[in-house]
Order: sequence, then C-alpha cells, then structure tokens
Amino acid sequence: MFLHDLKYSLRSGLRARVMLIWLLIFPIALSTLFKIAFGNVYESVELFKSVPAAVVTNDGSTELRGVLDSMESSENPLMKVTYADKEEAEKLLSDGDVQGIIYSEDRKLSLTVAGIGMEETLLKTFCDQFNSRVSVITEAASKDPASIPAVSAELMKELNSVSEEKLTEGNMDYFNEYFYNLIAMVALFGALIGLSTAVDNQANLSALGARKNCSPTPKSISLAACLISRFILQSFCMVVGVSYMRFILKIDFGDRLGLVYLSAILSGILGVSIGFAVGSIGAGSYDTKQGVLTGVIMSLCFLSGLMVADMKAIIAEKLPIVNDINPAAVITDSFHCLNVFTDTKIYTVKIVTMLGMTLLFSVIGFILTRRRKYASL
Amino acid sequence: MANTVVKIDNLVKRYKELIALDHLSLEIKEGEVFGLLGPNGSGKTTTINCLLSLLAYDKGTIEIFGKPMTPTSYDIKREIGIIMQNVAVFNELTVMDNIDYFCGLYITDKAKRKQYVEEAIRFVGLEDFTKFYPRKLSGGLLRRLNIACGIAHKPKLIILDEPTVAVDPQSRNKILEGIEQLNRDGATIIYTSHYMEEVEQICTRIAIMDKGHKVAEGSKEELKKMIKNTETISIEVAEPSAEVNAEVAALPHVYKNEYTDGKLHVYCSGGKHNLIRVLDVLQKHDMHIGRVYSELPTLNDVFLEITGKALRDKED
Repeated sequence: MFLHDLKYSLRSGLRARVMLIWLLIFPIALSTLFKIAFGNVYESVELFKSVPAAVVTNDGSTELRGVLDSMESSENPLMKVTYADKEEAEKLLSDGDVQGIIYSEDRKLSLTVAGIGMEETLLKTFCDQFNSRVSVITEAASKDPASIPAVSAELMKELNSVSEEKLTEGNMDYFNEYFYNLIAMVALFGALIGLSTAVDNQANLSALGARKNCSPTPKSISLAACLISRFILQSFCMVVGVSYMRFILKIDFGDRLGLVYLSAILSGILGVSIGFAVGSIGAGSYDTKQGVLTGVIMSLCFLSGLMVADMKAIIAEKLPIVNDINPAAVITDSFHCLNVFTDTKIYTVKIVTMLGMTLLFSVIGFILTRRRKYASL
Repeated sequence: MANTVVKIDNLVKRYKELIALDHLSLEIKEGEVFGLLGPNGSGKTTTINCLLSLLAYDKGTIEIFGKPMTPTSYDIKREIGIIMQNVAVFNELTVMDNIDYFCGLYITDKAKRKQYVEEAIRFVGLEDFTKFYPRKLSGGLLRRLNIACGIAHKPKLIILDEPTVAVDPQSRNKILEGIEQLNRDGATIIYTSHYMEEVEQICTRIAIMDKGHKVAEGSKEELKKMIKNTETISIEVAEPSAEVNAEVAALPHVYKNEYTDGKLHVYCSGGKHNLIRVLDVLQKHDMHIGRVYSELPTLNDVFLEITGKALRDKED
C-alpha cells in the first residue's frame, strides 16, 4: 500500500504544474538572469587589478626602478608601470590610460593624479611609503652603511605587491548571496507542494481527500507516502537547481559543495514541511490556504533579509530570537556560514535546527490531519 | 430473505443550529438499488458522508454488512465503492493511472488489479482514452472516469452521490445503464439524486428526504399509492364556464379541477375511465378540444403532496 501510494504520489507530483514552474523553471530562469546581470560584476568590481601609472624619472633612481621591476614581476602587482617623459606621461593621464604620474626627483617621489578614488589612493600610499622608507634607508646608511642592502630589501619587499588575506575557505564573491537567497526562496516554495499534501488527504478540504479517506488504506500510510514523495521531489528539484548553478552557470560555491547540497536538500524538505503544517490548519479552501501560505513565506523571507538586505541585521539587533526561529533565516544562515566560517560548528547548528524544525512541522501536520471524522465537509 | 447491507438507526446530525439529519432510519437490503431522493439541502449527501464515517454525527448508529461502521473499519471499506458528487481524480495522472491508483488502495495483488482496471475501463467505455489526462476529457467522460475509479475494485456496496450532475443526456444514459449492470452483477447500490426521472428509472426502493427527514419510503409503486392523486388529465380547451367546471367537479373520483395556461387540469383519485367521462362533459357543452394528456403521478407529485413543494428547483 505504502509503495503503491508513494509511486503514484511521485508520478503525480512530477507532473504538477506548481512543481515544474516554481521549483524547477523558476530557479533555473532566475539564476540564469542573475548570472547574466551579475556574472562579471565581482571580477570587475571586487577583484583587485593593477593600477596603471606613468613614471617619470629625472634623477635616474635605481631604487625606484628596482622596486618597480620587482613589483611588475610579482604575481599580483600593485602597479602597471609605463616609463615616459613628462609630456608623454601627461598625455597618457589626460587620455585616461594611466591613473597617475609618479615623478622621481632627488630620490623623492611626487604624484599627479586626474581624479580621486581607490586607485589614486593606492598610488599615493605607494609614494608615501616609498619616500618614508628611502628616508629610513638614508638614515641607516649614515649610521651603518653595511646594513643598507638588508634594510633596503626588507623595507621594499612589502611595496612590491598586494597579497590576499582570506578569511574563509569559501568563495567571498558577494554576489553569491543572490544565488544563496534564490536557493532559500525555492526551498520555501516547496511549501506549496507540502500544502497539496495536506489538502489532498483531508476529506473536508478536497474530493480527492474524501475518496482517499473512504479507502481501506490507513490515513497515516497515505499521508506518510504523500509527504515522503514530496520530500523526494523537492530534494530532486533542489539538487537540479544547485547543480545547474554550479555546473552550467559555473557559480563558485567554494570547495564545500557537498555541504551546499546538504543545506539545499534539508532546506527544501523544511519548506515542504512548513506547507504541510500550514495546510493542515483549519478548514479553508485550497486557494485560501495558498494565500495564507504565500503570506507566511513572504513574511519569513522579508524578516530574513531576502527582500531587504539590512532586515536580518536589524532583527539581529532588536530581536535576535526571531532570526533563530525564522526558517528562512536559518536556511540562508546555513549557506552564509559555509562562506564565512572555516569550521562547520555553526553550520552544524543550523543543519540540526533545520532538521528539528522539519520534524516539528511534520508532526504538527500529522496531528492536525490525523482526524478521522470531520464536523463538516 | 435478503441480508441487510446498510442499517441506519435514529441518525441525528447538527450543524450548529441547523438539524441536517433528524432521527433518520434506513435499512437497505442486499441486491437493492436504493434511491435517496430529495431536493438540494435535504440531507442526502450528509447521510452518505455519515454512512462512510467521514462526518461525525450527534446521535444514532450505522451498521454496514452487520458491523458498526467506524473510520478504521478497513474490512468494511474494502467492500465499498464510492462515487462522489465532485469528480475526485488526479489531474496529473492519466485515465489508466488514476483507475490503477484507486484500485490499488483496495487490491494489492498486481495481476488481479491489472485485470480489474482493464475491466473497469471497458465497463465505462474509456478504452480510447486510457492515455488521456483528465483535463482533456469532456464532462461526461470525466464522470465516467470518476465512476471507474470508484468501482474498479468490484465492491459489494456502491454509493453514487449525484453522479449525473452536469452530464449530457448520452453520458447520463450510459451511466444509468452501467449502474443497472453493476446491480445485475450483484452489487447493492445506493443512489442519491434530485432527478426523480433517474431514481424512478433505476431504483427498486426509494426514500424521499426533505429537511433531514425521511418523508416517505417504498418502491415507486408503493410511494405513488401513498398519495391521493392517481391520474392528472390535462385538456387544451377554451376557458370553461362555471357550469362546465361544476359538472367536471361532480364526476366520480375527481377531487380537484382548475384552468391554467389554456388547459383544464382535472385531478383524479382512483377509478377507471376518468378521461372518457371528462371528455363527455366537454362534448356535451360543444367545446372544441385540442390536445389531451393523461398522466400518472410522478415522484414529484408524491413529493409535492407530502411536503407541499416541488422536488426540483426551476433552474434544475
């Protein structure tokens, strides 16, 4: 009986329109749009690029040339240098080919820039640090000439390049948040198929429920088969969605893809159980319940910052307990902490919380739908 | 004597202030086609839902196959087929899958189930539509699918709750013929409807319900004998004079006569040759006679006389 019910629940679920649209097509379409819209933003905005600069040397400074040569040969150089005379350099600056002109006169650097920004600041910092260190070396030379090579090498080393300090093993791409939020939203859309589980098995909510209730198959078996089939279908959709993002759109979810899949599957199951519980409450029509459920999901998403980015931080400050019990917040947190923390302690807490919530909502659903006789149909 | 299949005793069901079933008692014998006839809201569907243990009731007992019916009476449920008023099928499953699914809730043996499903498809004439999804079926075909889902497991007791609502005449006839066939094959049938013609056509015994009461019960002949009217004569004539009316009223067995819509209606209670006697009176007064009708009482007349209102609303 159970397997028979499960088989047909899976078959009907696979062909359900809500399943195709909201759980498969929606994440694929929206993630593709995200990729088109934000795909290169991280690289162009967030990743460091060498600052183009013109260098005009009037003093034949070997120290500066040595530092710049060494810098350009590094893996991630601070500057992309063009040596030029004053006129050429000014033309390059006015044409926007360089961000600034570094003049070297009497072993001191001065800077001319055309605007104000991060790149100009970096050039200014470089010049200030160079000047400061040349002063230190000059002073060292006057006291202990033998120490000049060692002091010089040590001081100039840091000027050569920029180095990345990673806070986590995950991908720090800020725009991955959009994909994580999308996965969380699809997980919560699973509530719609959870809702149909409740409605299709209750005699007072649907003709189908009434017919099932008249059959000799115990309601608990029928309900369990239906709910498990929805868990399986939602897990399938989540895996398809994450796989599409990772392998087709080439979204970098970091090196803990297995845990991303685990989060996606458990969050999907949690979404289904929320729908099951909400669908089991009261005797409203399917449309009414769908309206209520959509409202609940949207509220949870709003509070978790899926719509307004700062909302989660505001809630964390004013009423942190809400973030701990809001399923949408727990789902997004499980993804975020994979990126922020190297250890899986907080991730484990989020996963256990999701499992607990799934169990709680499923039990609520079962208790409310276990009723065998209805006051009215 | 046939066994009692369903026994409802003193059933009371209230919806807050409204009494939906008021001390209803019924006994349905094996092999009967039992009709529950009544207008919308008379309590037919409530009776069925209580019978199936879907609906909680306030008082009374229900026994099916001699055992108390409860929500966990799975052995009893196994022998019942239910065809709901609303079509109850999966829109995402084909005709074949739908029937197989519902049959599988009753029959675990796969080979037996396959055979039953094929027989059910043939029975309702959906052989050409097995791969169709319900939304592609017409209203009549959808009703037939609904019936197939309810009877595929070959139940001993089949309950049909208004199965012909919104069905075209051709499909309706097919459904009614099918029900008679199921009965001939040995099933006991409970058939609810507010279409008196259907109930008259297929039911061997009928209970007429109104406002949660059983107002009459018996075979159609027995029911018709319960009322005064045995024949209604309608004759197209010019409006008769008071003298003619008085003469008609004085005829034996005539208990009422009236002139409406260009016809003289004469209501008789018993007796023979009533029509001839009425025509004699009209001829005597040299009245031109148009079309003449002589109608035996219908269940609507029974209902009208017992409750004082028509069985079916005009829009029905």
